Amino acid sequence: MTNPTARPAATFDGEHSGFGLSVSRFLGNARFLRGAVAAIALAVSGVVSAAPVQAEALLNVSYDPTRELYREFNEAFAKYWVEQGNEAPSIETSHGGSGAQARSVVEGLEAQVLTLALGGDIDRVAETGKLPKDWQAKLPHNSSPYTSTIVFLVRNGNPKGLNDWGDLLKEGVEVITPNPKTSGGARWNYLAAWAWAEKNGQDPQEFVKKLYEHVPVLDTGARGSTTTFVQREIGDVLLAWENEAYLALEELGDDAFDIVVPSVSILTEPPVALVEGNIKNDEQRKLAEAYLNYLYTPEGQAIAFKHFYRAWDDSAANPEDVARFPKLDLVTIADFGGWEKAQPEHFGDGGTFDQIYTAK
Amino acid sequence: MGRPLVHRSPMPGLGLSAGITLTMLSLVVILPIGALVLQGASFGIAGIWDTIHRERVWKALFLSFRISLYAALFNLVFGVILAWVLARYSFPGRRILDAAVDLPFALPTAVAGIALTALYAPNGLFGAAWKDHIAPALNIALEVPAYILNLVAVPLGFEAFVFEVPPRIAYATPGIFIALVFVGLPFVARTVQPVIHEIEREVEEASATLGASRYYTLARVIWPMLMPAALTGFALSLARAVGEYGSVIFIAGNKPLLTEIAPLLVVIQLEQFNYDNAAAIGIAMLVISFAMLLVINLIQVWSRRRIGYV
Repeated sequence: MTNPTARPAATFDGEHSGFGLSVSRFLGNARFLRGAVAAIALAVSGVVSAAPVQAEALLNVSYDPTRELYREFNEAFAKYWVEQGNEAPSIETSHGGSGAQARSVVEGLEAQVLTLALGGDIDRVAETGKLPKDWQAKLPHNSSPYTSTIVFLVRNGNPKGLNDWGDLLKEGVEVITPNPKTSGGARWNYLAAWAWAEKNGQDPQEFVKKLYEHVPVLDTGARGSTTTFVQREIGDVLLAWENEAYLALEELGDDAFDIVVPSVSILTEPPVALVEGNIKNDEQRKLAEAYLNYLYTPEGQAIAFKHFYRAWDDSAANPEDVARFPKLDLVTIADFGGWEKAQPEHFGDGGTFDQIYTAK
Repeated sequence: MGRPLVHRSPMPGLGLSAGITLTMLSLVVILPIGALVLQGASFGIAGIWDTIHRERVWKALFLSFRISLYAALFNLVFGVILAWVLARYSFPGRRILDAAVDLPFALPTAVAGIALTALYAPNGLFGAAWKDHIAPALNIALEVPAYILNLVAVPLGFEAFVFEVPPRIAYATPGIFIALVFVGLPFVARTVQPVIHEIEREVEEASATLGASRYYTLARVIWPMLMPAALTGFALSLARAVGEYGSVIFIAGNKPLLTEIAPLLVVIQLEQFNYDNAAAIGIAMLVISFAMLLVINLIQVWSRRRIGYV
């Protein structure tokens, strides 16, 4: 969930004081000026005094559903790092909507490590020059130590018989998915639907248009959609990341909902990256690099499996954690030409998503 | 009030206090609004117009301002009544009720939004009652005026009228209305309440002894005294509602063209890193808000002239 109250541009608590009038009254008063200067100096001095630099600290800016994953991973990594003969690191993780998190970093949040929901969001940070444009080639598997896919979460027993994307257009079926404009995760949902339509000889644009006609509530984030589906009992199917669907089952008990895996879906790659521009010294670089590399070790991968992500190396993982993932036909973002192309084409201003709501 | 401040005041500390006030105002009000206008200025009038002149943006702006106006009007009526009750009557629990009026200020708007959604969603306490009992009952009741109206209208060539209440509160425009009433309620009550306290009993008694009816006293003696404060509260409530994001977003349903509020469009543009477009919609809201507040101020000036300064 993002934090809307912190956005200055979104609130207009229309001030209508007689301010202009009082300015002209005040100006020209020498004593006022001296006082004003003193007050301004006071205010500025409070802002400028910087926080002391802390060595061995790391800020990982992540997205919403990785809370549990990184809680466990940070502990495991700290233990490993101390065993390597280092001082215990202080690792902080921040969670929120992927796009909002990326914007915070663009606007100056000093994250050394990004672990977001889609490469497009990290691209936005790269545009500021804080990390190289080819960041995604720096680490194995497109810098995605763990992946997931888009599945259906349906009500217990699947009463409406929703087994594949085509079933979602049945009469009276209500689909819950967030707005792909505000939710990075929902962009994968949209592209997965698009991919299925393409593979099944349907006009994908027409298919997603009809699909969104079945959406009664368009939440701004994935957590909001889950609440709408689970708590408010609205809708017949929630389009969700596989890991989040399992998280929901874990929290709510598996007798309330079922997971349905469609025939075609998309390989969701939540990538990780080191933010060069926010690294203060060599020691911090060593720590950040070790942190990211540890995600790829068998121990790191086992933690990802445990938290319902499809990771790559299952050598140290609990076989039960690995066995729960069925095989399915997965397209990748590369099939859409990468985020560089897919983002403006589908989710930019006037993109295919906007066209759903303009061509009436 | 009205004393020119350029004359040296006998009170010390004017310079310092004015400096602090101006600095704070600049940091908190002038700078953000200035930044918004500057961002828009660099975008140009044509760019701003291109951004706003779309069906989706117009509908969102219309929705935001229309529902905000309804909510502010509701708060105007209800807030005055509430203030009257709290100021004039003594009953057990009055102080608690008085304190509770401020709660919408204290509660994080997201919490309010989620709580209201939980109550008014189709499976919530009020939402379920509305869907299963109240709405059907109202629809049956509304058939009576529709029938009478159609007796006249249909022979005149109009299509038959059908009155129906919306089946849903949350995830529809009534939900937005409720959220906006909630966040704006304290403004009117809190601006009017002190004025009611100030009105002396003798004024009403004089009115009565001069032969005025209760209604006449209320309309010609009490209301003119309350009106400036009530209008201020109305304006504050309206301005608050127009910009409200946190609570509405949970209850609105956010469907483009239907229940999408203008502040959400700003956020959507921000998510796409389109700062120019976000600023354009922001400026449009600012201009409309300013025009509305100006009209309200003019009404206040006019009312003061007409009935004298209260």
